[in-house]
Amino acid sequence: MNAYAAFTILLLSSCGSIPMPSFLRNPADEAVVYALGPRDGFTSPLSTGLKPACQALVFDQDGIHLTESHEQTVRSLAKEMVSEKKSRVIIAGYAPPNLPEDHARALSDRRALAVRQRLIELGVEAANLQTVGFGNDFSPSGPSSGVVVIYKQ
Amino acid sequence: MNARALLLILTLAVSLGTRAEAGIMDTLRGWIGLGNKAKSEEQKKSMPRIRIGPFTGGMAVSAQDALRKELLASREFFVAGDDEKIDFAIEGSSVGGRVTGKLRDAKGKELFQRSYAAPGLDENLKALTDDVIYTITGRPGLATSRIVFVCDKTGKRQIYVCDAEGGDVHQVTHDKHGAVSPSLAPDSSMVAFTSYRSGFPIIRLLDLNVGWERGVTDTPGSSFGSAFSPDGTHLAAVMSFIGNPEIFVSDLNTNTAACVSDSVGAPASPSWHPDGKHIVFSNDDGDGPKLFVVEVPQKEGGSSRLFRWRTGYHFCTDPEWSPDGRNIAFTTRRGGEWAVAIKPYPNGGAHILQAGGAQHPSWSPNGHFLTYIQHGELFVQDLRSGNRRALLRGFGRITEPRWMR
Repeated sequence: MNAYAAFTILLLSSCGSIPMPSFLRNPADEAVVYALGPRDGFTSPLSTGLKPACQALVFDQDGIHLTESHEQTVRSLAKEMVSEKKSRVIIAGYAPPNLPEDHARALSDRRALAVRQRLIELGVEAANLQTVGFGNDFSPSGPSSGVVVIYKQ
Repeated sequence: MNARALLLILTLAVSLGTRAEAGIMDTLRGWIGLGNKAKSEEQKKSMPRIRIGPFTGGMAVSAQDALRKELLASREFFVAGDDEKIDFAIEGSSVGGRVTGKLRDAKGKELFQRSYAAPGLDENLKALTDDVIYTITGRPGLATSRIVFVCDKTGKRQIYVCDAEGGDVHQVTHDKHGAVSPSLAPDSSMVAFTSYRSGFPIIRLLDLNVGWERGVTDTPGSSFGSAFSPDGTHLAAVMSFIGNPEIFVSDLNTNTAACVSDSVGAPASPSWHPDGKHIVFSNDDGDGPKLFVVEVPQKEGGSSRLFRWRTGYHFCTDPEWSPDGRNIAFTTRRGGEWAVAIKPYPNGGAHILQAGGAQHPSWSPNGHFLTYIQHGELFVQDLRSGNRRALLRGFGRITEPRWMR
C-alpha cells in the first residue's frame, strides 16, 4: 500500500509541467451550469417592494466569486429553501455607481449567477431561482452598492 | 478589394492633407503612433479645393450661404473663391427649401446629381454636404450623423439622440423603469437598447424614422451591451440565459443567436471591427476587466478564435473599434480616475487621450473625432488638432454615448 502511494507521488511529482488530469482539478471548475428557466411568474424588485430572503451579500471591488463570509448566509438560505418546498427567489446583483455602466451590469450579473450556482449545488431547485444584473442602473436599499440581494417572491 | 484599396488611399490622402495645417499636436501624435503612415509626403497634398458654383431658384442665395457654412464646418475642404483653382464644384437649385445639387470635378465631369426634398432647407443642405464629402473623401460626413446617449434628466435613465453639434436633442424612450445601453444602426435609422419596461433587462429595437418598436431578446437573466454589426444585419450583445453571461451575435432577420465567447467571468461592451468579422469586448475574471478579441464565425457551427488583446493597462472597459479598424479606444483607470485611451490595432503603443474622469469613448463616423463623457457631460475631441469642447452641458447626468452616421 505504502509502495503504491510512494509510486503515485513519484509519478505526480515527475510530471510537474503536464497539466493536471481532470479528476484532480478543483471540483468547482467542473460544476455543471444550468440554463435559467422561464421567467414567467417572477416579479421584478423594480415593480413592487419585495422582501429580502436574507441579508445582502456584499462583494468587494473586483471579486466575482463567493467568499467565506457569503458561504454561511447562502447555506442557511439553501437549508430554508430546501425544507419549504415552494419558496422561489430572485437574485439581483447591483454594482457601485462609479463603475463604467456596461461593466457594472456584467459584474453584477456574474455575481448573481455565482450565488445561483452555489444555491443549486446546495440542493435548491434551479426552477425556483431567477437572476438579474442591474449594474448601477438602480441602487439597492442599504449602505453598500456592490451587493447581491436575494428577494423572496 | 480594389474598392477597399481605393478607399484606403483616399483616406490617407485626406489625412495627409489635414496634417499639413494641424501643427504641433499632430507632430506629437505622430510620435505616439496615430496617423503614422507616409510621413515623407505629408506637405505635398492639401485639402480638396471646392467652389460653390451658381445656384438657381428662389432660395438660391440662402442655400449658397448655408452650404458654405456646412462645407466649412465639415473641415474636409478648402472653399475656394470664384477665380481660384479648384478640384470640385457644386452647383444646383433651390426652390422653397427643396435642393437639387450637382457635383462636378475640375474637368467639368458630373460626379453626381441628387434632389433633396426634406421639409427644411438646412436639413437638405446637410444631406447634400454629406453626399459631397462621401463622394470626394470616401468617408461619411458628420452633418447627418447622430449621437445616442443615456441621460437621467427625468429621474430615470432614458435614451436620447442628438446631432453631431449637440443640437436637435430628442428623448426617444419613455420606458417604465428606464432604458439604457443604446447602440445606433450604421445608417442611424434604428436604436438597439436595453429596456427595463418589464422590470427585467431586455433588448429592444426602435426604428427612429417610422417609430415602431420590437423586442429582440426576452430571455431570462440579463441582456445588455448591444452593438450593431457594420452592415446592420446582426446585433452583438451580452446575454446570460444559459446560466453564464456570454457574448451572443443575433441575426436580426431570423432572430437567432449564436454564442461567440467562452467566458467564466463577466463579459461586457462588445464592439465590431469594420470588416464585421471580429468583435472586441471586455471580460472580468475577478481581477479587473481586460480586452479580448474574438472572430465571428461566418458559417453556422463554425469555430471562433478568441484571444486576449493586451493594452498595457490593468482596467480596460468600453472598447470601440475606429471606423478604419486601425485603432481601438477604451476606458481605463489612471491615478484613481477614469481616462480615455487609444491603442493601434493590432500592435502599437497605447496613449491616454483624455484623463480626469473621461470615459466611454465613441468614434465619429469619419474617425476624426472621439466623443466621450466627463463628469456627466458630453464632450467631442478633434483627434487632428487635439481641441475639445462640450457638446451638452447641464443636461442631467449623461452616460454611454454612441456615434453613427
